[in-house]
Amino acid sequence: MPRFNRNCDGMLRRDALKVGVLGTGGLSLGQFLKATEANEDNGQPIRSAIFVDLAGGPSHLDTFDPKPNAPREIRGKFASVKTKVAGVEISEHLPKLAKCADKFAIVRGVSHTLAAHRLGSEYINTGNRPLASLEYPGYGAVVTKESEGRNPPTLPPFVSIPSGGQRPGFLGVKYGPLNTNRVPQAGSPFSVRGISMQGGMTLREFENRHKLLKDLDSTFASLEQESQLVEGLDDFNRKAFNMITSAKAREAFDISKETPSFAKPFGDQAFGNSCLLATRLIESGVRFVTLRLGGWDTHQSNFERLAENLLPNLDTGLSALFNGLEQKGLLDSTAVFVSGEFGRTPKINQRGTQPGRDHYPRCMFMLMAGGDVQGGQVVGESDETAAGPKGDGFAPDDVAATFYRNIGIDFTKEYDTDTGRPITIVRDGSVIRQLLG
Amino acid sequence: MNSNTTSMVSGLLLSLALGWFTQLPAQETQLDVTNRFAVETDEIPDFQKHVVPLFGRLGCNGRACHGSFQGQGGFQLSLFGYDFDADHQALFSEESPRVDLDVVDESLILFKPTDEDEHEGGERFSKEGWEYRLLSQWIAAGAPKAEPLHRLEHLRVEPQQITFAQAGDEVQLSVVAVWEDGTREDVTPLCRFRSNDDQLAAIDENGRVTAGEPGATHVVVFYDKEVQPISVLRPVSEKVGKQYPAVPTPTRVDELVVEQLSQMGIVPSELADDATFLRRVSLDLTGTLPTPQEVEQFLASDLEDKRSRKVEELLESPAYAAWWTTKLCDYTGNNSQQLTNTLPVRGQAEKDWYNWIYKRVDDNTPYDELVSGIVTAKSLSPSQSYEDFSDEMCSIYRGESDKNYSDLPGLTHYWTRRDFRDAESRAINFAYAFMGVRIQCAQCHKHPFDQWSKQDFDEFTKFFGSVVFDQTGRQTHAKEFAVLLGELDLDGEARGNQLRRQFGELMKKGETVPMPVVAVRPGVTTPRPQGRNRNRNRPPQPKSIGILGQEEVAIQGVRDVREPLMNWLKREDNPYFAKAFVNRVWASYFGVGIVEPADDLNLANPPSNARLLDHLEKGFVKSGFDMKWLHREIANSRTYQLDWRTNETNALDKRHFSHAYLKRMPAEVMVDAVATATTNSKGLESLADNWQERTIAAAGTQLQGPLRNRQFSLEVFGRSTRESNCDCDRSDEATLLQTVYLQNDQDVHALLKRPSGWIFEIARQSTASKTTERERQFNQLPKEKKIALLQNRLEQISKTLRRASEKGSETQVKQLRRQQSMLKSRLKQVRMDEERVANQDRRNRNMGPEKSSGELDINQLISEAYLRTLSRFPEVDERTRCQAFFDESETVAEGLEGLVWALINTKEFRLIH
Repeated sequence: MPRFNRNCDGMLRRDALKVGVLGTGGLSLGQFLKATEANEDNGQPIRSAIFVDLAGGPSHLDTFDPKPNAPREIRGKFASVKTKVAGVEISEHLPKLAKCADKFAIVRGVSHTLAAHRLGSEYINTGNRPLASLEYPGYGAVVTKESEGRNPPTLPPFVSIPSGGQRPGFLGVKYGPLNTNRVPQAGSPFSVRGISMQGGMTLREFENRHKLLKDLDSTFASLEQESQLVEGLDDFNRKAFNMITSAKAREAFDISKETPSFAKPFGDQAFGNSCLLATRLIESGVRFVTLRLGGWDTHQSNFERLAENLLPNLDTGLSALFNGLEQKGLLDSTAVFVSGEFGRTPKINQRGTQPGRDHYPRCMFMLMAGGDVQGGQVVGESDETAAGPKGDGFAPDDVAATFYRNIGIDFTKEYDTDTGRPITIVRDGSVIRQLLG
Repeated sequence: MNSNTTSMVSGLLLSLALGWFTQLPAQETQLDVTNRFAVETDEIPDFQKHVVPLFGRLGCNGRACHGSFQGQGGFQLSLFGYDFDADHQALFSEESPRVDLDVVDESLILFKPTDEDEHEGGERFSKEGWEYRLLSQWIAAGAPKAEPLHRLEHLRVEPQQITFAQAGDEVQLSVVAVWEDGTREDVTPLCRFRSNDDQLAAIDENGRVTAGEPGATHVVVFYDKEVQPISVLRPVSEKVGKQYPAVPTPTRVDELVVEQLSQMGIVPSELADDATFLRRVSLDLTGTLPTPQEVEQFLASDLEDKRSRKVEELLESPAYAAWWTTKLCDYTGNNSQQLTNTLPVRGQAEKDWYNWIYKRVDDNTPYDELVSGIVTAKSLSPSQSYEDFSDEMCSIYRGESDKNYSDLPGLTHYWTRRDFRDAESRAINFAYAFMGVRIQCAQCHKHPFDQWSKQDFDEFTKFFGSVVFDQTGRQTHAKEFAVLLGELDLDGEARGNQLRRQFGELMKKGETVPMPVVAVRPGVTTPRPQGRNRNRNRPPQPKSIGILGQEEVAIQGVRDVREPLMNWLKREDNPYFAKAFVNRVWASYFGVGIVEPADDLNLANPPSNARLLDHLEKGFVKSGFDMKWLHREIANSRTYQLDWRTNETNALDKRHFSHAYLKRMPAEVMVDAVATATTNSKGLESLADNWQERTIAAAGTQLQGPLRNRQFSLEVFGRSTRESNCDCDRSDEATLLQTVYLQNDQDVHALLKRPSGWIFEIARQSTASKTTERERQFNQLPKEKKIALLQNRLEQISKTLRRASEKGSETQVKQLRRQQSMLKSRLKQVRMDEERVANQDRRNRNMGPEKSSGELDINQLISEAYLRTLSRFPEVDERTRCQAFFDESETVAEGLEGLVWALINTKEFRLIH
């Protein structure tokens, strides 16, 4: 149950008023919000979800798909270590994740063909191979659309920390994320600027202004049907109003309200604290959160950058995220998906004094956790040198289909674009059954 | 001639170039390979002309298969097949040879693709097929290389344009390769084909195009190095040919746009009204909202050519130069972080960069000259010594020189960015900034959508290796550096940044310190061989450098290889330079380029209206690269001045300019617009002069001085990060956080309430709540009483005014005069029928501000609020709603603040429409 700060001005007055009108004065605010949500919740249950974007393309060999028996120029400098799960080994620089390996599943031998960052990232963030003539929506946008009307009105349904690759595409800006634009710092209050009432404005004033705005803002009324921009801006107006007039959003973003014992495992780095913020947002009722840990484009100094910075950060943040979600009882109701845009070449390049690895979409790893995902297993396999999948492998489309299934969304559903073109949520994927218990 | 060339499918409107038949006698064109190899033949296929293209058709050299970075199954081909040498080698590799000259049928390239089980890629052809025969003939002949390479003169694709009548209609493309030696061959079955929108037009591997939904797109043909787009369209309405209505086309731009629209059955929207035009053109051209006074004057003017006069007026304003300088800073990459520590003065490099470009945009220096100053920049002028140079720079940075950095001939800072010091990064940025192309792909493999190979890329980088950025001068001017250093009182241990800081301090004290320098080595500098080859000599100096497969540029005896590059760039027939710029400028007016994305000119991404782009490009070159010519040409067109309201034929059009497209204000424009709309009357009066205080004139990516607190808002609205050689570094997407910002950010509240703001000014004038109280009582009085009261006050004021002017108290006189005129106009209004006030207001749009602004006049405030934000007068119902809001508010100031808040949150304010 989220905690609420009862000192805040705008929200309590407003919600107390609403509660009063409904004659449910006896309910606590949290109960009240839950109750209203429950009333609207009449479709298939839709889980919350977190997507962690490892932007730049992490080396699969040096992380979750080590090849200790491969030749030196392939296996790299790192040793692999045993994890809590018998028979599963990962890089020595991920000790905390090794200890909680039962909470997530590793997908190996995922394979595609787009070796450019932008295209690869679009693929991984949408589950569809990018097209020149159409921009597919990211998972977060689809989940926002599918869960419309079932999310707390006072919170943004979709948050990107600090911003992300999951654009709304042809669904229109309306389904885009709220970007925090900043990342939280350990132990400091955190807020998205503007989400709590500012400038000495009273709630009544704010409401009156909104009424005026609504009446004056009608110039493009004739375009509402045909312009996603117009429709999206209208939707933002409503969402912003609800968020600003409630204290819930402010509360949800403020990680300094977490107990020190809960916050400690997340460490003091930006990524870890973004993970902490994600757990808090999910707990408060945000439907979809994206996080980003970038810097994986290690053409040079691959091993130095991984060992000193990237892997310790990933290890601390992700392990705390999995453990934290479980501790709050949210792991069963939250689907987690971790991926970069591609893997990196098995052969270590020989450029410069500190060699690295280059883009390599043919073989990569992904992680999945939460919901129906059976943790503590490796699904799929790469060949001896991690140069490609052993056997057919998986396409990003398959993992995407599985992710949607785990969230509770029918990925075969069709949307119409604004030109009336029917588009399936995931065009070419099929569910990896082994992943879901 | 192949019979499928002209399969005239019934019901299709084929626009065939009839001349083609006469130019190309049938007997000269060789039949295609499917015919020639259908039966036994002694023809030996050619590796370049047939074998590698066949790999392409079969998909062997795609990224998913053997075209991947590390090959597949021990066999690697160049991606899409343009490295004939490497591909030939790969077939004979020791580890896994694919060709068996002794037992031809055992060759893996024959055996594998015919066997479902052995080949991961499945069966690609059968043993009986022409493909098998072609490959085995080639191997039997000893698998000869393509040496020397044939040069493809061009590719003739027929038809050049396809117009479909209904879904399901089909057209067969025919492709003839014309080689340098004059031989011609039908290569249709050896091409790669792609549709740019398969919903509109699908194309199969044989080049058969099938019509889909109405609209316009291209199918693209790839063969050898050639890439050719073929336009495909299907009209969206019946309004084509004689059914097309008469549409005015006052300018050449309009003719070209409507010419295309008429083929597509799209009728353009009506002309936008004056207020809409003024707002749009002011925001697009100068990044600035028109002031209320400007709106009133423009609406009141009866001049027939007032729109083009306005364009001229805007082009002369400093805001035009400021805003377009910001755009040029985006393209060239004026990024504060990347310029850190490049000068002994902190934060100076990005300001220099901005000011240098500003000066030239403001002078309307021809675009080619401006770019030349960037491309060929170097620090020392021909006769200058390093010491003199350092001396000059130091005095400039101390502000003692009568010169500024902008007066120097070259923008040297362009060559000093930290992420811009190796030849490859420079080549990529250069191509992005001045050619509008993305050559990154060719760094590792042949560009998939253009002609450039990896070799072309490597060759191109030779232009960029000779420029040295020497941070202290130690490297390039060792002796003089030592002399200068000797004269300074320095901590001997200091190095690097520490040393630079000391230099900075000494410079401020009046010393001449060694300055960073951009120098050029003569000829071509190639990187010293690395690793095993370390001890090899550098390759000899080339006589010429190839430019992206276009042509060779002679460089023998040239001291600075950038000069011939620049000469090529600004040549009349350069295929990129002018085109890239006109397309970007067009894109910023319409929100979408003629080529889109605007910075991705590649052969497979053709313009949506080629003749229009061609007209602008040629005209721009002919004008002498006159940037203002280009702005005029676009802004004066009817096409640019169309309304955003659509009709039934053009509602879905997003690429052919049949109506104005709504676009979000760019970050700087948005942030400035909120500040401008809320500033006090003095702020508005000096708007034209205070452009430097606005974010449209912010220099680098890290804002300095008073603009520093705008950093956050600019980030929220997506100002360009200038980091990745992509116009997409600037975001034009609308987001929820932007709405939250406008509704409730501390910045916006502070702007509304600031002491130098309009609301504060009005609050002081109206002495807040008492006035409204008085106002309410006043309103309830009968008309005669009101008139008497006002006359009474006017008399009193006249008396006080006389006394004040006798005393010579200027401020008081001014204030009283204002009150007097307000009361007078109030009196006039009361005398008139009050219901007609609103109408009168609109009829008298040319009323000066003094005449109509009033202490008690809420009506006037409402008008001004609309003029300040939406650049138009309110409609009657809007006015009524606003009045009601004032009535609900406790004070005038509170009412006004709420109204302005609401107006800046409307879509009409946030969008350029």
